[in-house]
Amino acid sequence: MSVAVAESVIPVPRPALGRVGTATLLLLPIALVNAVGFLLPVLNLLRMSFNEALSGGGIRETFTLANWVGLAGDSFYLELILNSVVVSLTITALTLVLSYPIALYLHRSSGRWRTFLTVLVISPLLTSAVVRTYGWIALLADQGPITSAIAALGFAPPRLMFNTTGVVIGLVEILMPYMILSLLAGFGRLDPRVEEAAMTLGARPVKTFWRVVLPLTLPGIALGCLLCFVLAVSSFITPKLLGGGRVFLLATEIYDQAIVTLNWPLASTLSILVLVIFGAALAVYARILRAID
Amino acid sequence: MMHQKILSGTLTALTDRDAHLRLDGLTKRYGDTDAVAALNLNVPKGELVALLGPSGCGKTTTLRMIAGLITPSGGRIVVGGSDITRMPVYKRDMGLVFQSYALFPHMTVAKNVAFGLEMRGVPKPEIERRVTEALAMVRLESLAGRKPRELSGGQQQRVALARALVIRPSILLLDEPLSNLDAKLRDEMRNEIRDIQQKLGITAVFVTHDQVEALSMCDKVVVMKGGKLEQVGTPVDVYERPETPFVASFVGRTNRLEGAARGDGTVSVGGATLRVPGRPNGPVEIMMRPHRVRLADVDASPAGEGTNRLDGRLTRVTFVGDLLQYHVDVNGAELIVEAASDHGRFFRAVGTPVTLSWRIEDTMVFRRAA
Repeated sequence: MSVAVAESVIPVPRPALGRVGTATLLLLPIALVNAVGFLLPVLNLLRMSFNEALSGGGIRETFTLANWVGLAGDSFYLELILNSVVVSLTITALTLVLSYPIALYLHRSSGRWRTFLTVLVISPLLTSAVVRTYGWIALLADQGPITSAIAALGFAPPRLMFNTTGVVIGLVEILMPYMILSLLAGFGRLDPRVEEAAMTLGARPVKTFWRVVLPLTLPGIALGCLLCFVLAVSSFITPKLLGGGRVFLLATEIYDQAIVTLNWPLASTLSILVLVIFGAALAVYARILRAID
Repeated sequence: MMHQKILSGTLTALTDRDAHLRLDGLTKRYGDTDAVAALNLNVPKGELVALLGPSGCGKTTTLRMIAGLITPSGGRIVVGGSDITRMPVYKRDMGLVFQSYALFPHMTVAKNVAFGLEMRGVPKPEIERRVTEALAMVRLESLAGRKPRELSGGQQQRVALARALVIRPSILLLDEPLSNLDAKLRDEMRNEIRDIQQKLGITAVFVTHDQVEALSMCDKVVVMKGGKLEQVGTPVDVYERPETPFVASFVGRTNRLEGAARGDGTVSVGGATLRVPGRPNGPVEIMMRPHRVRLADVDASPAGEGTNRLDGRLTRVTFVGDLLQYHVDVNGAELIVEAASDHGRFFRAVGTPVTLSWRIEDTMVFRRAA
């Protein structure tokens, strides 16, 4: 009786769909876009990696393991994969080392200064990577300001371009904003009071960093490294331009196979391989996150 | 010879009791304002001292300067005879309990407590023994393997206390340690902290804005306002014999009246004459504690010896459980009388004329700028 009265007095809006139904409805648009724009092309890539390449860019629809077997038996491609992973890991590590102090400083600053610094960190993202890469070409060129400066100091001028060094320098700079933002996003657990507590308990600044600050910022580090590694593996404009065709990485090779050689089945196979590498990176990331928790 | 030995023994004992922690003109300046202005304070060994005051009075700044987390602009901090003003935090040997507890979220309870010992290079077996001891002291042995986020606020608080005490600090510093706990737990922790402090005989400084905490736990209360000391004394001193109107109104509740003292021990307040201790002269403010004032029916007979009396009208009665608060309008001034609640029965209905009376020695009088 009283329940009936309460219900008539306070009308409770009842969702037309259940809780699950509402969630499905809200997720549907993005799910559709992903299905059509991502999943289908990837499945198409997978199918194409089992097709046969004909000379002149033709594709014969069939089922052959030739592309995969060919990859596994070709030391050039094995080295390419290894090289890609090593270079990307190097880039990720350098980006982390250079970005971490900046992110930590940003995390601790406040007010207008912080806003200003954040804008400064994000601003490179407003310029395309192509433009920034050309900027690096101008800086790193054989007669450019940096080599000239090193030569003027009496050292043998190093080659900073058209080799792996150039690619690393360029990509590290391009990826730094992503790393800094990821680090900042993961610094939530870092409470200045906790650092103070460590110091009052007798930890010197260096000890405080290793025992308290670093462990508490691991989530940010893991996120930033995952993002930068994925971006490094998949970037091809910067390696192409700064590598000058002499640095062979997975992404540039896919580009060459797809656009220059017109061997789409091989390009597809390599692309699927890149996806596998991403999958592995994600698995490592998930493991690290679990370990931190 | 013998005599001298005893004498020197007494002297050592005296110096030991004398100021374990000494603040000498301690100052912290931010821009043009002094957050803490030339603070002088002596804390004898084994005493628990409260820094009491409203927010912004400089109490936390003072505590953080003692801990070494803030560099003083001037003055000295002396512990056990040695000047530590410029000593870095990590060498100071202070146990600090933070308001937010500031436990290491990535470490277990045992690891949290062990941290300070590891930093001191204490050997492993001893660390284990002392951590177990410290956790037993705060009754958390069974939770040693938990992470801080799996603990309640009260448990986190006790871990913070154990972590600060396990290093056997020269001074225990407590920064509003109870303010994040609910009322019942706060009472418990109050006693627990006091018991532990007494058992260890450790010198402690306790920052709080809560007068009940300061009065009930501490040997000495330091009332601060605007970066300066208002009064230093025992809890009874600051409550019963406040030296300034600020102390009177901050430590405990007060009724306040303004009047003109005649210099003969009487003060004219409105149309009435009140008698006060001492012989002040000129403009004064008069204060009395609400629970020291009695409420009675209007009585035309002269006030008894040693008693002050004012007539008014009851304007409101508030039932607060253990207390009844009667608001009485006396010539436009609102005075409050507190009486033990007697099964919720009110003395008289609102609107009734009443007489307030209190003893002369319960009348606090302060000189007032004209």
